[in-house]
Formats: sequence, structure tokens, C-alpha cells
Amino acid sequence: MKRALTRWPALLILVLGAILSACGGAPASTPTESPATEATESAEAPAATEAPAAATEAPATEATEAPVAATEAPATEAEPYIFGMVLVGPINDGGWNQAQYEGMKYVEERIPGSKFIYIDKVNPADRPNVKVEQVIDELIAQGATFVVTNSAEFGDGTNIAAEANPDVTFIHASGDSVLAGKAPANVGNIMGKMIYGKMMAGCAAALQSETGKISYLGPLIDPETRRLVNSAYLGAKYCWTDVLGKPADQLSFKVTWIGFWFNIPGVTLDPTQVANDFINGGSDVILSGIDTTEAIVEANKATQAGKKVYAIPYDYKAACEQAPDVCLGVPYFNWGPTYLKAISDAKAGTFQQSFDWIAPDWTNINNPDTSIVGFENGAALSADNATKLDAFIAQLADGSLNLYTGPLNYQDGTPFVADGTTADDKTIWYSEQLLEGVDGQSAP
Amino acid sequence: MTTSNQAAPAQKPPKAAIRSPLLFGALALVGALIFTSIVLLSSGVPPLEAYRLIFLGAFSTPVRISDMIMLAAPLMLCSAGLTLTFAAGLYNLGVEGQMILGAVAAMIPLRLFPDLPPPLLWALAFACGAAGGAAWATLAAWLRVGLRVNEIFAGLGLNFLASGIALYLVLGPWRRVGQASSSGTEPLPNALWLPTLDKLRLAPIAPIVALIALAIIWAAVTRTRWGLELRAVGLNPQAAGRMGVPAARRLAESLAACGALAGLAGAIQIIGVFHQLIPSISSGIGLLALLVVLLVRANPAWVLPVAAAFAVFTVGSVQLPLALGTDSSIAGVLQGALVLFALLARGLSARK
Amino acid sequence: MEVSVHNLTKVFGTLRANDGVSLRFAEGQIHGVLGENGAGKSTLMKLLSGFLRPDGGEVLLEGKPVALGDPGAALRAGVGMVHQEPLDVPGFSALENLLCAAPRWALPSRTEARNTLTVLAGRLGFSVAPDDPISALTVGQRQQLEIIRLLACGARALILDEPTTGITAAQARSLFVALRRLAAEGNTVLFVSHKLDEVADLCDTVSVLRAGRVVGEGQMAMPQPQERLLRMMFGGGGHSSPQVETPRRGVSTAPPAWQLNRVAARDGNMALTDLNLAIPAGAVVGLAGLEGSGQQILLRLLCGQFRPSAGRISLAGADLTGAGAAAFRRGGVEYLPADRLVEGVVGPLTLAEHFALLQPEGAIIDRRAAEGAARQAITDYSIKAMPASPIMALSGGNQQRAMLAMIPDNTRALVCEQPTRGLDVASARAIWGRLLARRDAGCAVVFATADLDEILEYSDYVLVFFAGQISRLLPRAELSAPRLAELIGGVDFATVAGSRGATAT
Repeated sequence: MKRALTRWPALLILVLGAILSACGGAPASTPTESPATEATESAEAPAATEAPAAATEAPATEATEAPVAATEAPATEAEPYIFGMVLVGPINDGGWNQAQYEGMKYVEERIPGSKFIYIDKVNPADRPNVKVEQVIDELIAQGATFVVTNSAEFGDGTNIAAEANPDVTFIHASGDSVLAGKAPANVGNIMGKMIYGKMMAGCAAALQSETGKISYLGPLIDPETRRLVNSAYLGAKYCWTDVLGKPADQLSFKVTWIGFWFNIPGVTLDPTQVANDFINGGSDVILSGIDTTEAIVEANKATQAGKKVYAIPYDYKAACEQAPDVCLGVPYFNWGPTYLKAISDAKAGTFQQSFDWIAPDWTNINNPDTSIVGFENGAALSADNATKLDAFIAQLADGSLNLYTGPLNYQDGTPFVADGTTADDKTIWYSEQLLEGVDGQSAP
Repeated sequence: MTTSNQAAPAQKPPKAAIRSPLLFGALALVGALIFTSIVLLSSGVPPLEAYRLIFLGAFSTPVRISDMIMLAAPLMLCSAGLTLTFAAGLYNLGVEGQMILGAVAAMIPLRLFPDLPPPLLWALAFACGAAGGAAWATLAAWLRVGLRVNEIFAGLGLNFLASGIALYLVLGPWRRVGQASSSGTEPLPNALWLPTLDKLRLAPIAPIVALIALAIIWAAVTRTRWGLELRAVGLNPQAAGRMGVPAARRLAESLAACGALAGLAGAIQIIGVFHQLIPSISSGIGLLALLVVLLVRANPAWVLPVAAAFAVFTVGSVQLPLALGTDSSIAGVLQGALVLFALLARGLSARK
Repeated sequence: MEVSVHNLTKVFGTLRANDGVSLRFAEGQIHGVLGENGAGKSTLMKLLSGFLRPDGGEVLLEGKPVALGDPGAALRAGVGMVHQEPLDVPGFSALENLLCAAPRWALPSRTEARNTLTVLAGRLGFSVAPDDPISALTVGQRQQLEIIRLLACGARALILDEPTTGITAAQARSLFVALRRLAAEGNTVLFVSHKLDEVADLCDTVSVLRAGRVVGEGQMAMPQPQERLLRMMFGGGGHSSPQVETPRRGVSTAPPAWQLNRVAARDGNMALTDLNLAIPAGAVVGLAGLEGSGQQILLRLLCGQFRPSAGRISLAGADLTGAGAAAFRRGGVEYLPADRLVEGVVGPLTLAEHFALLQPEGAIIDRRAAEGAARQAITDYSIKAMPASPIMALSGGNQQRAMLAMIPDNTRALVCEQPTRGLDVASARAIWGRLLARRDAGCAVVFATADLDEILEYSDYVLVFFAGQISRLLPRAELSAPRLAELIGGVDFATVAGSRGATAT
């Protein structure tokens, strides 16, 4: 009896811990939020549940299209077209997931009588033992006939769910199962050519860096993340040597992979810690490749502490607002227009399976209604460097500069692109290693 | 316990025994519901609708029923194992790690001999899973019996170590070709997945294994000398030792048996649920099983209904975010509150 | 402050720990309270200091009845208790302990606390400095700190429970000096002990408790003859003890059950050295002595729970030196602990389940056989229970009978610790009937008890323990009750000490 009594505290802690961890949700993956992102979220929260509300809200944001939505909404109210999304992280992460979420909101505003539903934080840390197939089933049970899954590891589950639900159309964003020929006919792949965004980010980093030590906060290692690191490196190298004329050996480019798209305590490296290691190692520009905003947060802290560290966040257009003073710019996704087309096609019954790797709208990469990839300059980028960056972008736009031109070698010395040739899309998509000159793990 | 009533009239049972455990169970349930309702109301969610989804949601479609069963199977295995350690007076918090090691061990034959006939491989995976879990638990037992490290701390430490091993394998030797992601290893070839019922994620072998294991454990605890000795050791190790029971050995055996069952659960997670090794392969099922066992204590007969109910809550609540805009973790609040109030009720009844 | 109790009663279950105790402790004096283990001293002191609430009767301070709900209330009323093991926080300094254990009104500031500590320590000749860490203090110094704390909190009556246990002789002397000074200043000191010489040395009055009651005429002025006090403590008054009726066997010729050769063993402060002993089979050996004189060590040596640090132990000729309890049990030694529910039986398990545990090998429980055995035991031993009764639901006597019933027939030797503790007379008699039947069947029975009547009534041989020494095996026939009481008190102990026999340090 006495033994049992002494263990009561332990029991209570156990139970309370269970309750707390159940209540806790996902503090780990929720970044510090700027007031701006809070605001957008709260403004849109009602719209998530009520389709007509989207119509009444629309005039404020989109004057031209709103009246259409407003007039048509009542007619279709009875039978809304429901489309859903499965997100790996929280919708307010200030990065990848927020950009995805806002892309879907863009669609909901523009398709009258449509309704957007979603389940976010679908990852083993936040929802243990919940598989993506299960979540897709829930969306379909709520009436969704079009489902986007937004993370690379959802590929297999998306295909399984697609086979089980042939009447529902699926987009696996960032995936390549269509290209690989493994996808059922009702699955499509969409990805923006972020390689260009990353080239611009790399260029901006090289232009502004004083030490020439650039670091890249990498997520997990797969072909997508390798090609993005390689692209950032190529942009940095070009702008360091060809634009600034500095010697190549004074540029260092280091990547550290944390192991997942965002921090999962105990599982991934802590991105805050990694960012600090970069800073302590002498890096003065940190490029983020992860879904969340630790890089810019830590750069800002270091700058406030007297160092001079810049950051280039990723994914989400407003990401610089977290700390404008250290932000050189952000390469971002603008999913809305592409999703609008895909969902409109599916609604009209004209969906065709395809693997779409879509380049920015080179006439204006920041056009919110046309360009899937953009680059927003940050307040910390000097005017001079902004001019140089614009020139660089213009070269990319007109095709006069192709950074994937040989000779390019992989880290282990094997040729990647032969001298005098340029890499085709598929070669770049399936980048097997990091490039020679990048310091970091390739995991071939 | 024993059921004979025919003996000579004698001693009245003590007062505490007269009070029905059912009454306290009902009080615990009411308390937990009130607590959870307060949580729900404070976040603006209609409790009745939420309870309808939590209690009945898992039965609304065949898919959900099958998901519930696939969660209940490993949960039952872990809970059944924990009734053994509970009977022996141990709090085997290491059950999570034992499940992880079971999953890791189950992967070994699948990776080494993918060309063997699948039924043989499944048998091997189950056997290796059980062995892996038992080995990991034996480590905890050694720490407890040999070095007198409290099994709670030993278990927690070994859990961390087990996660570390799984993570290392996922990111290192067993990673997908050309990738290094903590999302998991290369999925198993479809042929090695436990066969499922048509269009459902229900692999019937999993609940069958769980039910058989549960029956064996029930018989072991209630019918065998070994089970009786285990209970004697758990209730009073000194007295049991005086009566000739090898107490330390029984402690170690209960841990190892629990580890083996947790390992089976881990094997189910591999070949029946995730079809790959992921770092969080245990998915908190071991911790959920600890809650189950705090309710059922050393009585395996109650594992089936309670584990099933917990699985129902968990699966039913998956739709909460969509249907009511609240987080699905409310099921965890309900489960935790149930246990908390059950402990409270028990504490009250013990004070008579 | 005068402290008195009137008709004070405290009941634990069936045990009347204090049964109508009435005493008056005058101020300015040191009052000894004597009694054997379980006599009710500690209960009385806990009632006085608010740790327990009485079930009947009242506590009076300065003649006025008071209700002492908790130790804090008692201290506010002026009664403070120094426990055997001082209650303090090991990581703190002396000053910090004083601060955290004293109510705010007593020591409003750190500076004040420091002054109080220094002043009181100086006045009482204590060697505690404010900044000493508790972990570096001896038990004696911690006791001093506790006394200072109680005085600082306004205590005018101090209760000390076995204060000299675990402290050095020098510390005891300085404690006595301080206590005399406190009494001279008008405080009341209650000194609880079972050590006669200390009481004789220190106290102005003495009261003896036995089985929860005040023995004899109540409070007596010191000095008193030691033998008288011993008789009061242990009973065995000679006149009151019933004449021995049990058939007694002569000196046994059977080979010894246990043979101990130059055995040494230690438990805490107490150590046995160079113990040579042959315990005969077919006889009852009673271990007599003040509590904590070494009987425990011998009992545990005999059942293998302690391993000797030197020497050899053999059981019926087989050398079991260094073997564990399991080996002794296999060799036919059964141990009946005093604390039945702690060490003896598994309380929540039923009688039948206990018999199932004792079944010889077999993976599946034979419930029918177990229930049969339980029913047989119920009949044979007149246990008031059903096979399905949990053991903890049984009364103490029935638990003890059940424990005896579980002892296998082929048992060679029984080691019993207080075999009739907490039992009524009829139960005790029944238990002894069983034990003597075992003896007559050739089993060796060794038991320890605080009750001299029990020793005299049932033993064939007596081993007397005094201050760490052990007598030789004394045939009961050679002992009278007064003589045994004297030996326990150490009078002429040298005459019975084992020739090379048992000595202890």
C-alpha cells in the first residue's frame, strides 16, 4: 500500500502530462507570428466555414470580381462545390503552408458558391497515428470532390486515396508521381519553378554578404530540396563572381539539414539552434529552406544584439514582415492562379492529368494573378543591390542567362551537366546530389 | 478472484468492498464528461454535438470502423502487456520504446528477405517484433532488478533511446534512396502489406493477433500459478518472497512479456498500418495504453472494452476539426479526464 | 507549564493504544515516561503534541482543557515535541531550517532568527551555528536545533521521544544538562525512554505505561528501585504470572537445529560478534531483552534474511553460511514476521489464493485443491473466514492462524517475531497451542517478544539480550520472573553471559 502511495505523484504527472500533451497542439511548429499574419488569418477565419461570407468580404479585396461572386453565390448556395486541402503544417506558419492555404482562399473567392475545407498539421508530431489517407477520407466525407495534398511525403497516401475514390480529383503539390508514371488518372502534380526564386535569393545573398559566408537552413534531403539548394548556390556564385567580380574561393555556401519541413522536437534538429550555429560560424546571410521562419527570427535577434546578419525567408510573400530590417527578400509561391485553373477544370469536368512544373510569369514575376513564383525585395536589400538583382532577374527572364549550363559537377566530382550543354527540366528535377562547391550532405 | 460462496458463514466483507466499483466508475465518467464539457464550452463548441462525433463518429462509415479497429489492435496489445506489469506493481512507462524497438525489429526480416513468401515474412515480422520489444523491456528489467533503477525512469530513458535508434535508422542506413527525411523509410512493397479487406484499411490479422494475445494474457493472469505469483509480487513483494515466490524474476518476466506484446503492436504498425518505419511509429499508442491500464488496472478482462472505447474516441474525434472547427485533441482531454477522475474516485473509495 | 491528561484514550482498530491514561506533569520538573515497545508511550506523546487526536478523555494545560488539532496548534499552546529523527530539510542551513519551520510570528526576520539561534544555543550550551548546513550536523546537533526551534516558537513544555537513540554519550550528557536548565527555568520536560539508567539519572518523576495503561499507582517520585520499574514495564511480576502448566520437555538430546560458530552480523548501530550458539530442535527458545538489543539480528540471521559478516551458520548439519532466505526456506526454516500484512501475507489475495501460491509446481492453478486446503485450514485452525476472504479482511488473530496454517508440515524450524502481537488472550493461547504442537513434533521454535510473561510461560530456553550482549542458553527452569527482569536490566548479567558465547558491541 505504501508503495502505491508513493507512486501517486508519478501517476498524476503521467495523467496530467497526457492531458496537457493532448491539449498542447503544435507549439513546436507554430512560429512567432507577426501582427500582419494574425490579421489576415482572423479576417479569413469566418470565410472558412461560411461560403456566402466570402462573397460579402470579397469587395474589400477584389473589386472587379466580387460583384460576380456576390450575384452568383445565392444561386449555388444549396449545393456548394467543395474542395479541400491537407496541409502538413499549420496554416499560419508564415511559410509553405500559409502560402498554400492562401492559394486555396484565392480560389474560394473566385469560384462562386464554392467552399474550401482543410485539415492542417497532418504530421506525426501533431497528429500521431493519423495517416493522410484517413484525413483525405474525412475531407471527402464532408463533401470534397477536389483535394490538394501539400507535402512530398503525402505522395503514396494520395495515390492510395485516389484509387479508392476515383470520382475525386487530386493534386499532389510538389510531387512527381505523374512524372514517374505511378499516379492514378485522377491525380495531378503541380509545382512552381522555385529554382528561379532560389537563384534570385542566392544572388541577393551574395550581393549583400560582406563575409561571403552564406548558409542555407535546409529541411529534409530529397531531390526537391537538393535542386533548390543547388539553384540558390548557382545564383550566389554567379552574382559573387560575375556581377561583383569577387574571387570564387572567397564564397562559401553551407547547408545544414534539420530532417523535416519544420521543427519537431526530439526528431529534427532545432532550426533555431542551427540558425545560431550559422551566425556564430560567421555567416552573415541565412537562406531558409524550411516551412517556418526561424532563420529570419534568429537573424533579427543577432542583428539587434549588434551583429549584422541578413536572412532570406521562403515560401510566403509576407514572410519579410517578421523582421523587415534584416530581410533581403523572399522567394515565394503564389498558388492561387494555378489552383484556380485546376479546380475550375475539375469543376467543369475537363481535368486532365498532368505533371506541371510551372515557371514564373517572366513579364512580371510578382503579378498575383499570373505568376506562381515570385521574389519580393526586402527592406534590407540596398538600392544598389536591388538594381543589380533586377538586372539578374531580367537576364533570367529573357533567357540570356541559364545557370544550369555546363560544366557542372556533383559533390563527388561526377559530371552533372556537361560542358557546353544545359540541363533539361527532368535532369534538374531529379538532382541526385548537391553541386561541387556546396558544403553539406547530399544523401545520394 | 475466487468465486466460491459455499463456505461456512463467517466474516462480513469489509465495507469498502460493498461499495460497487460500478458506482465509482459511473461517478468518474460523469466527472470526466463535466470536465470535458467545460473545456468544450470554453472554446465555444457545442458539447452534445462534439460528444455525438466522439462517441458515435467512429461507427459512421465502414472506413472509420476499420480505422478504429486498426487503432484498437495495437492499443489492446500494449494494454494487455501493461496489465501484466501493473499486476506486478510496475509502471512500465517504457512501453513506447518497447513498441518502437518491436517495430524496428519487425523491419529487419522485411528488409533482409523481401523475397520470402509474404505469410512467412509476416510471421517473422511478428516474431522479431515480439523479440525486439521483449529485449528492450529486459533492459529495463535489468536496470530495475539489477541496478535498482526505478522502472519509470528507466522506461523514460529507454524511450528516448528507442526514438533515437528509430530516427537514426530512418535518416541513416534505412533512408529512402536519394533522400534523408524524418518522414520515414522507403515504404514496403505492396505485397508485404498485411492483406486488407476490400477498400478498407482493415487488416484482419491485426485484431485477430490482438484478441488471441489478450485471451492468453487473461488466462495467464487469472488461471495460472505464474499470474497469481505476479499479483502476489505486485501486492506485497516481501510476503511473496517469504512464501517462496522468486519476486525479482517475476518482475523481470512481466516486463519482458509486456515488451513482447508491445513489440507485436510495433510490428502491426509496420506491416499493417504505416508500411514503413517512421520515427514516431509508436504514435503515442503506448502512452494511451498506460491510460487504459490506469482504468482497468491488473484486470485483462476490461482491456477489450476500454481499449476499444479509447480507439473509438480517438478515431471519432479526427473529424472534429472539419465538423466543428475544434481540435481533435479533445479526445485526449476526455481520455485523460476519465483516468484522472477514475483515480480520484478510487482514492475516495479507498478512504472509505 | 503544567501538562496533564485525564482519562485519555486512543484506539487504532481493535488496539487500545492508550486506555484511560490519567497523569499530571508538574512544571519545573523532568518527567520520565517508561514503557516497552508498543506500550503506548509514543501515542500518548503524539496526543499531547497534536499529531493525534484523542478518541476519549482530555488534555489540560495549566488545568484548562484544550483541543490540540495539529502540531501547530499545540506549539501555539506551548507544547513542542522533539522527534527521534529530527524533522528537518537536509539541503538547508541551520538558520534556514529555523526560518522555514517556525511560524512567521515567532521569527519575523532573518536577523532576529540568527540572534535567537545564537542566544539560545549559548544559553543551553549547544554547538549549533546558524550557517551550518544540516547535512554536516550530527543527529545530536539536529536535535539541539529542533529544541531551539521549539523554544523560539514559545514552547514551555518539551516532549523528547527517545532522544538518546543515535547520539553519542557526550551529546547525551550535554543534552541532559540543557534539559535540567530548562526545567530549572520553569519549563516542563517529558522524557520518553525505555532506558532505565537515563531515567534514573535525569528524571524527577517517572510513570510506567504498559499495554496502553498506566501501571501501578501512576506517577512516582524518583528514585525507584530498578527491578520494580522493570517488573512494571514487563509484567512478569512473579505473583501475577500464571504458574506454568504446559508440559515442559527436559533438556533436549536431539541434534541442534541451528549451529552458529563465531558469527558476526551488523544492523545499523547494533552488531553481534563472535556468536556461538546451538539452538536445539524440539524446543522453544524465547529471546528476551529491551527492544533493539540485538534480538532482531539473531532472528533474521536464523531465517537467512541477514547474512553473517563472519563465522558460519549451519542448519541441521548443512552449512548455509551466506545462503539467502530462499535456501533457508528450502532447508525447512519458516519465518513468521510480526508485521503480518507487511511481510507475512499478501493482504488483498484470498485465503484460497494463498494456498494456491503454496501449491507444489503446476502451471495452472488447481482452484479446487486450493479451496480444499483453505477449507481444511479453516477447520483445523478455527480460522473465522471463507476461502474467498481476502486475508486483510481477517482479524489479527485469524491472520496469524492462517499464517501458521500455511506452514508446511515438514518444517524443521520456526522463527517467530512477536507471535501474539495485537492478539486477544484466547487467540494468543490458540496460537501457542499450535506452536507447542509443532515443537512436540520436533520443530525448533525461536521467538522474540516484549512480554516477559509470554517468555516465561512458553519457553524451554531463554536467551537474554542486554546492551548488545547475549546470555548463554538458559533453561527456563533456572529462571524466576524477578531474576529474568533483573537480567534484562543488566543486573548480574556477567553471571549468565556465554562463556565465549555471545558478545556484542
